[in-house]
Amino acid sequence: MVVLSYLFYVLVFPGLLFSTIVGLILSGIDRKVVARMQKRIGPPIIQPFYDFFKLLGKETIVPRTASRKTFLYAPVIGLLALVTVALFIPMFKFTAISTVADIIVIIYLLTIPAVALIIGGAASGSPYAGVGISREMVAIISYELPLVIVLLTIGKKVGMALNNGAITFSLSQIVNYQAQYGPMITKWSLIPAAIALLLIIPIKVGSVPFDIAEAETEICEGPLVEYSGVPLAIFKLNHAIKMFIMTSLFVTLFLSGKGTGILIVDILLQVILSAIVVIVSISTLKAITARLKVEQVLKFFWTYPTALALLSLILVWMGF
Amino acid sequence: MKFPYLKEAIKSAFKKPSTEPYPKVNKEAPEGYRGKIKYYPEKCVNCGLCIRVCAPGCITRTIEKVEEGDKVTFTFYQGQCTFCSLCADFCPRGAIELTKDYHLAVTDPKDLIVSGTFIKKAPPKPPVQPQNQPAAKNQESNA
Amino acid sequence: MLKELIAKSFEKSPWLFHLNTGSCNGCDIEIVSVITPRYDAERMGFKLTGTPRHADIVLVTGPITSQSKDRLIRTLAQVPDPKVVVAIGSCPRSTNVFNGSYSVEGPLDKYVPIDVSVAGCPPKPEAIIDGLAKAIEILKEKRRAMK
Repeated sequence: MVVLSYLFYVLVFPGLLFSTIVGLILSGIDRKVVARMQKRIGPPIIQPFYDFFKLLGKETIVPRTASRKTFLYAPVIGLLALVTVALFIPMFKFTAISTVADIIVIIYLLTIPAVALIIGGAASGSPYAGVGISREMVAIISYELPLVIVLLTIGKKVGMALNNGAITFSLSQIVNYQAQYGPMITKWSLIPAAIALLLIIPIKVGSVPFDIAEAETEICEGPLVEYSGVPLAIFKLNHAIKMFIMTSLFVTLFLSGKGTGILIVDILLQVILSAIVVIVSISTLKAITARLKVEQVLKFFWTYPTALALLSLILVWMGF
Repeated sequence: MKFPYLKEAIKSAFKKPSTEPYPKVNKEAPEGYRGKIKYYPEKCVNCGLCIRVCAPGCITRTIEKVEEGDKVTFTFYQGQCTFCSLCADFCPRGAIELTKDYHLAVTDPKDLIVSGTFIKKAPPKPPVQPQNQPAAKNQESNA
Repeated sequence: MLKELIAKSFEKSPWLFHLNTGSCNGCDIEIVSVITPRYDAERMGFKLTGTPRHADIVLVTGPITSQSKDRLIRTLAQVPDPKVVVAIGSCPRSTNVFNGSYSVEGPLDKYVPIDVSVAGCPPKPEAIIDGLAKAIEILKEKRRAMK
């Protein structure tokens, strides 16, 4: 029975099927909102589904210089990591898997899709992919530092109230704290951290001002340059699920709380809040900015978001 | 950090999009647009000026001898045309016109060909003159 | 059911790859204007991709110059099946005013069969949208013939 319920978790509800559908819908909403902000009609909201199914029907070409197995399995590794992360993120009261150190597991697992992209690009043997993976590494270096500081800040805030001052790494404890004291966004000392995380979400999902790794007009989509057919479809799916997971993580960290108590309503609320976060942090930035240079991205993330996150951390440490 | 287009983007999100619903609603080309070629063979006088001014050489002419005179066929291959309208400008009789129709996407290149045929009547033959010095004329032409 | 979904998706999400083989940039500007807010081809699912591996429809502009001939053949070979070749403008169809030049090796149908050709120098964006609509029909037929 336990095995069945875990299979259900992995394959259907917070896992593969649910996060696929929600992720694709969220990226459809993103495309639509960007189009409307640019005064276009834009594609239908289910356009990412069309893209995904079309790519399933295309021919899969493996280049002669590629190492075949790595090239084909890299996207699957990324997908597996993302589905695992989806199990750890609580939706208000509901959690599929809960441990004492969720946040550390999530930090590690969220790096794997980027690493899968690097591995896949390196296996394809294209010089464009080589440039792309070096840029992806720069992106990882730039966003990991502020992301970890933001998570530490929240852990400290919750730990001071519930855990005798020790930093907590448990997401369910964070949700409990918010159920007792109101959503995290209402604490003024955490607003800089929230802004920092809103700026980290676009680079994590690789969207426009920070899409240095997949710059399609510049380096031919970087690591994805040689992918076609089914592996490309899985990479696009990874992208969509990453969007859902990052926004869902934001909702859990900052906008969560008691919820309504009814599971389906809670899940709907989580998805709607995620969509709002997508519109605020990804679509708006995408519509109004152009791509930054590689060194500008590194400079940006090590100044503004890091400073904001550190400010929050210091404020929380001082007891505000 | 400055985001100069933030206000514009948020305003546009609630406005009507400026996209034209093209395939549903057909759109008229502006006045003076040079589109599909129309050829009026009944006006043509077979002067050949259009062939001389055509830069890519998309106009071809074939002449067949028939009983009444010459059967002239002008063929315009729009796959090679630059739509410069020089042929229409130079035509002394206005036999060529570049219409405002721009629907030139085809799967078969034969659909891009516009052609017209007319019969140019030979002038009535003058009465045969009595030949005074046939031998001398022959010599001149030989020389 | 999956097959039906895939067949339907093929007409809803054709991705374009733009290949310039020595064009004068007139047609390239018109192609870019197809994805601007005024014409917005993205509402039909069109998207310009950066690499031929992702493309379904290849838009070729320009007479094939001798420098770009090898690149053209290699790029078209990299596009996964099913693919559709669309000649934008008069140049790929017949090399236009460059006909007979020492450095032009066109027309395009010497190397690959052209599925749709959009005449015009350059064609109006509306005409390009017409051509893309015809290309989708051919893409669907090719997909049906594949399986």
